[in-house]
This record gives sequence, C-alpha cells and structure tokens, in this order.
Amino acid sequence: MDFNLPGENDPRRIEVRNWFKAHPKATYPQMAKQGYTVPHWPRPWGLEADPELQLIIDEETKRAGIVPPHTYSPIATNQCGQSLLTHATDELRQELLPPAIACEQRWCMLFSEPSGGSDLGSLRTTARRDGDHYIINGQKIWNSMADKAQIGVVIVRTNPDVPKHKGLSIFLIDMKTPGVDVRPIMDMTGEEPEYNEVFLTDVRVPAKRMLGKEGDGWRIVMEQLQTERMGMTNPGAVWGFGPTARELILGLIQTDKIKDPVVRDEAAKIYVEGELLRLLTYRNLSNRINGKPPGLEANIGKMVASPHGQRMSDLAKRTQGPAGMIEQPEVLPLPDKDYGLFANWDYSYWFGVAATLGVGTQEILKNSVAERVLGLPRDLDPTAGVPYKEVARPQLKAAG
Amino acid sequence: MNFTLSEEHEALRDVAKNFLSKEVNFSKLLVPGATVEQAGYDEMWPKIVELGWPGIVIPETYGGLGMSYIDLAMIIGETGRYLASAPLFGTLAGAWAIEKAGSEKQKTDLLGSVAAGQLKLALAVSDADGNIDGEKSDATATESGGSWQISGSKSYVVDAPSADKIVVMANTNAGKKFFVVDRKAKGVTVELLKWRDITRQVANVRFDKAPAELLPESKADTWVWIRNRLYLVLAAESAAGIEKALGDAVDYAKERVAFGRPIGSFQALKHQLAELKGMSECATAGVHYAAWALTENDPKAAIACAMAQSYASEAYRDTTFRNIQVFGAIGFTWQMPNHLYYKRARSNAELLGSSRHQREQIIQMLEKDTSPLAA
Repeated sequence: MDFNLPGENDPRRIEVRNWFKAHPKATYPQMAKQGYTVPHWPRPWGLEADPELQLIIDEETKRAGIVPPHTYSPIATNQCGQSLLTHATDELRQELLPPAIACEQRWCMLFSEPSGGSDLGSLRTTARRDGDHYIINGQKIWNSMADKAQIGVVIVRTNPDVPKHKGLSIFLIDMKTPGVDVRPIMDMTGEEPEYNEVFLTDVRVPAKRMLGKEGDGWRIVMEQLQTERMGMTNPGAVWGFGPTARELILGLIQTDKIKDPVVRDEAAKIYVEGELLRLLTYRNLSNRINGKPPGLEANIGKMVASPHGQRMSDLAKRTQGPAGMIEQPEVLPLPDKDYGLFANWDYSYWFGVAATLGVGTQEILKNSVAERVLGLPRDLDPTAGVPYKEVARPQLKAAG
Repeated sequence: MNFTLSEEHEALRDVAKNFLSKEVNFSKLLVPGATVEQAGYDEMWPKIVELGWPGIVIPETYGGLGMSYIDLAMIIGETGRYLASAPLFGTLAGAWAIEKAGSEKQKTDLLGSVAAGQLKLALAVSDADGNIDGEKSDATATESGGSWQISGSKSYVVDAPSADKIVVMANTNAGKKFFVVDRKAKGVTVELLKWRDITRQVANVRFDKAPAELLPESKADTWVWIRNRLYLVLAAESAAGIEKALGDAVDYAKERVAFGRPIGSFQALKHQLAELKGMSECATAGVHYAAWALTENDPKAAIACAMAQSYASEAYRDTTFRNIQVFGAIGFTWQMPNHLYYKRARSNAELLGSSRHQREQIIQMLEKDTSPLAA
C-alpha cells in the first residue's frame, strides 16, 4: 500500500514533460501521434497506459496549458470512441477513429428522449431499413456538444416486435446529414447552453455506419455508460469538475469566514468527505493497475460525489448572503488554475442542480448500487418482457 | 502509488476473521439483563496472546512483532466486526504511551511484558466531562523525595478492570505527564460503569495518593501522538462494524418478504442501503489512508487519523441505526445482536471526543498549515 501519487521525479512524468517542452505549442494531432490523446487505448491508437501513466499525461497536458482531450472531446476519445475498438468493423474504425483521436472530429451522444428520461430502454426513435441505408425518425434531448460535434452516436429502435431492450441498434451519423436539426436548450443558469435537443427527420444513414449488429444497441450503450472517466480524479463541485473542498476551505480561511462556528463544522465535514472521495477514486485507479476489472465502484463514487459537490457549492454560496443572488458575483477567492467549465463557485452552484440529474439521476444510480453492488432484488418493470409495440400503445392500461 | 491492500494484508485479515468468527459468541450477551460480566473478557485473552496481537505494533527491539499500522488495522477491524470482548484497546493504548514517553528501561520491561502477554494495560486520560485534550486533568501528580503520588480521578477508562497496570495522564507543576500505576496498588479504586456497550469494559478510576511511576519522556506532543493511534483503532473498528451492520441489513432485506416481495426490492430500502454502501467505502478508505500515513510517518498523519475517526464514527452510528430500521421491530429486541452494534457505534463516537471535536482539530491544523489544500 502506498498513497503517494506519482511524484515530480517519476521517470515517466519526466518523459512526458520533456515531450511537451519539445513541443511548446502542441496540437491535438501531434499529441495523437504520440498516443497522448487516448493513452488508455490499445496500440496503435493509444499507449495501453495504466491509470498511473494516464494520470501523469493528464496532469502534464494541463500543465502545458492544453485542455485535456477527454474534456475537449469526451465522447470521441472516451466513452463511445473506445467501443468502436470492440464492436466496429475495421472499415468503420479506419474511417472514424483517426479524426476522433486527433480531436478533429468531435462526437456527441444521442441517447435520451423527451418521453423516456431515465427509462432509456423505452426510446421511440426508429430506424427503418431502405436498401443499403437506414432511415431514422425521432427526437433526442439533453445532448451536450450536439451543436459542436461532427459525429452523433444515436441509439434507435430497429425492431418493435421484441421486448424494449432487445430491439435497439446504434448508428454513427454525420451531424450534417439532411434532416438533423440541432436546437440549443437554454438551461436555468441562463449561461451559454450546454445541452441541445436534436430532431431527426428522415435521416438517411448508410447501413455500414451501424455499430455492432441489429439488436446490440442496449448492450453497447451500457458498456459506453460504464466507461470510467479516468481524467476525473478530483472531487470537484460538478461531476468531478470545478473547484474542490480544498479550494472551499482555502477561500473560507482567506476571507475569515471559517471563523463562524457553524460554517466551520460544515466546511470540515465537506472537506473530510472530499478527501475520502479522492481516496476512492485513486483506489479505483489502483484496482485497474492491479488488473482488477473496472467495477461498479465508479457508481458508488458518483453517488457520493454528486451531492457532495452540491453541498460544497451551497456552502460557498451561503457565505455571500443576499449578494450571492446577483448575477455573476465574486463568491470566494479561488487559486488560479484550470477548473474546466465550472470555473467559479457561482456557476458551480447554479449548474450543480443538474449534478444529480445528468449521467443518470441520483435515484437511478442508487438503484444500480443497490441492485448491482449489494445484490438486492431488481425493481419490477412490468414492461420489461413485453414486446415493445404493445408497451408503446398510447398509454399503459392501469394494472388489473 | 498503490491504494489497495496487499495479499499479505488480506491474508492477515482473513486469519483474524477466521479466528474471531469461531471465538466470539453473543449467546450470553443476548439474554436480557446481560452485562459486560458475561462478555467473556478473560476467556479470549490467552488465545489473543497466542496470536501475538498485544505486541503486534510493539517494536521488535522490545520483544514485539514490529508490524505496521496497516497490519494492525486489519486485525482491529476484525475485532470490531465481531465485537470481540478483550482488553486489546486498553493494552494498545497503554503500550503506546509507554513507547512514546517511557525510559529505555521502562520500555524494555513493560513493553516486553505486554508483547509476551504477561501484562494488560489501560490508558486513563478522560475527565468526568469527557474532555480528553484539556489543559487541566481531574488527576494531579505530586512528587516528594523522588517518588510520585496521584490523587483525583479519571473517567471512562476502557479496559481498566482487566488491566494489571494503568497509564494515567495527570497534572504536574510542569504540565501534563504520563504515569504508570498498579491497578491493585493502595489508593487505586476501579469502579466498573454500567456502560451501554456491554461488549466493552469501561470504568472510572479514583486515586487517593496512589504510588505512581513517571514516564520521563512525557512531552507536550505525547498525547497527540497517542491520540492519533487511538483514532485509528476506533475508526478501524467502526469501518469494519459498518460493513457488518450493512451486510446484515442487506441479507435480511433479501430474505424478508412483505406484500409479496422481498423488502429489499422496495426503493425506500434500496436507496438507504445504497447510501450506506457509499459511507462504508469512504470509511474504509479513510482507515486505510490513516494506517498508511502513521506507518510512513507522513506529515498528514494527524489529519488523516482525525478524518478517519470523525467520519467512521458518524457513519457507524448512521449504519447501525438504519440497520435496526431495516430489521423492523425484531431488530429492537434485546435478543437480537443489532443493538450491540448500535451501542458500540454510539460509544465509539464518544470515547475520544465527538466528531465535531475532531473536525475542529482538522480545521485548526489546516489554518496553521494550508499546504494540504494545494491540489
């Protein structure tokens, strides 16, 4: 057991740092050639890097002043891109992966639908075979980066005659295809929109753009959602990003607000939880280094981390009193560094409402910890075994 | 970097688990009216001695096994998981005081005897108001003609009735010092308390001019050094106790059927149990980190120990409380073991000060030195 993180003199760190020194204005394509955009992928795409090396590359990328690829283009370099390695044909891989790992093409997930929410399996978007194409119709929602992405990973229903989870398939569509209409959604923060809705009207996609086979959709999507974000090592305010409890305590000390006995104890509680969350994340990294399969621990981590982040931003916000209700105020001083999207307490606070909604709601996450980690009986879903077309009739009849 | 237990640590834990699962038996404690007298304190001790546990972290120079605090946490965790009744806490605590503040001769004699299983100890620090860090102590030591005497009292002393010697923190003209007192010496009265946690002996000790031996290396930082280790011990007990109480609740929720379904299929229970699982993972991670930090003499060890104790004791209390709720009314009866865990959890959250108290220590340390806050 050794809780020291890879130090400043770690030979692997020195090697990575020297590369960045030799390439002072490194571009993503240059980094991709070096294997630094997807170090965790197998060769020739990546470096087969263990999590420790991933951590080093991540830290050195940030130190070089570059937005890490998993932040700039997360879907292509992480969750979905990787699944092409196992499920795509060689032709599809050669077509899509080089621009993906060079961050020349960004991807987005087109999963959620307005009618389904957490019950993704009940999605309504359809794809109908038409010669060597499929024709997609439906609507997707809560799609981050859909306005910036060139490739969309869309899950659709190809067979309504089987139970809902079985008739699904995945396509990789060009977002410029006629019939793809992306509309930004203004969220409650009023800041630049993070999410979009995507309308798909008679979108023609070549059959060879299907990932896996017809009916593989559910299994592949579950794999993609389970892929851990290895860059996410900080228990930041929103999904691991943004300031952490360490910055909270620092800000409270600097402003003397830590002297308030109630703030003091609450802040300490949040600090302790943040430190323990760090340990959980690093333990998951170690498990991977030690060859243990990526488990369900990531679910536990997110279950603890999301409300932790909300409590943290809430305490920061409350130290301001009514002044905190003005748009874009200075909350607590923050040390100068890259916090990603959530660069201040105010935005972390207002956006934080979504921390327990996005990437699976807190309730669904708890179900999954209870069922898949603790082994409690699965929840009843009366629609699970029923052919989709019967479920999809306008409304379910009431029981009995 | 490697944040997971080694196979050796896991093996050590499994040996302890295997031993305690056979040795510990609650049958006498689950009879209404049972007290700690029925806990079998003296019966298990010779076997624990045989396993070498009293000397596990005593340096080899003094006859101990000189193992690490991670090894210790493995064993203590299991004693916590099974609520093993034995004077291990007191013996470890007393031995740490002697290791930190004793002379070479005292260390050789006393620690050697502890490691050989011939000497049981207790550590008396708490005052009647529960304060363990106070400037003043309810006991005062005075010197005359080169020998010391203690008068006054100490409260909530774990394992005092079993101990052969009691290490006492007492006031002197030169601040707080540690002393060794024979439990059977004239002027020493041990009064067993009706402590709610009947798996643990807790007593008040009164001193009336009791002859005492000074531990001459007692310094201003002695107590904090010991306290960090005691935090680790209680936190390790608690973290494993959380696993046990959660595991029992999960098993019960899978078996118990109501309204035609196992109660564990209801989300109201699932969500509670999932939350407890999160707390359990955090508590265990905190204990491992604290044990590692003490082993490595890491500068953050004091924060790590206070974090482990503050978090684990609260999480243990929450887990054992909800464990009873999951069992329903049967979990509220004396004949079920649930209350033993709840009471241990509550007691672990009081013996070394409250969680809030430990959090205050953490903030004070961070105010003094903000370097742990650098990312």
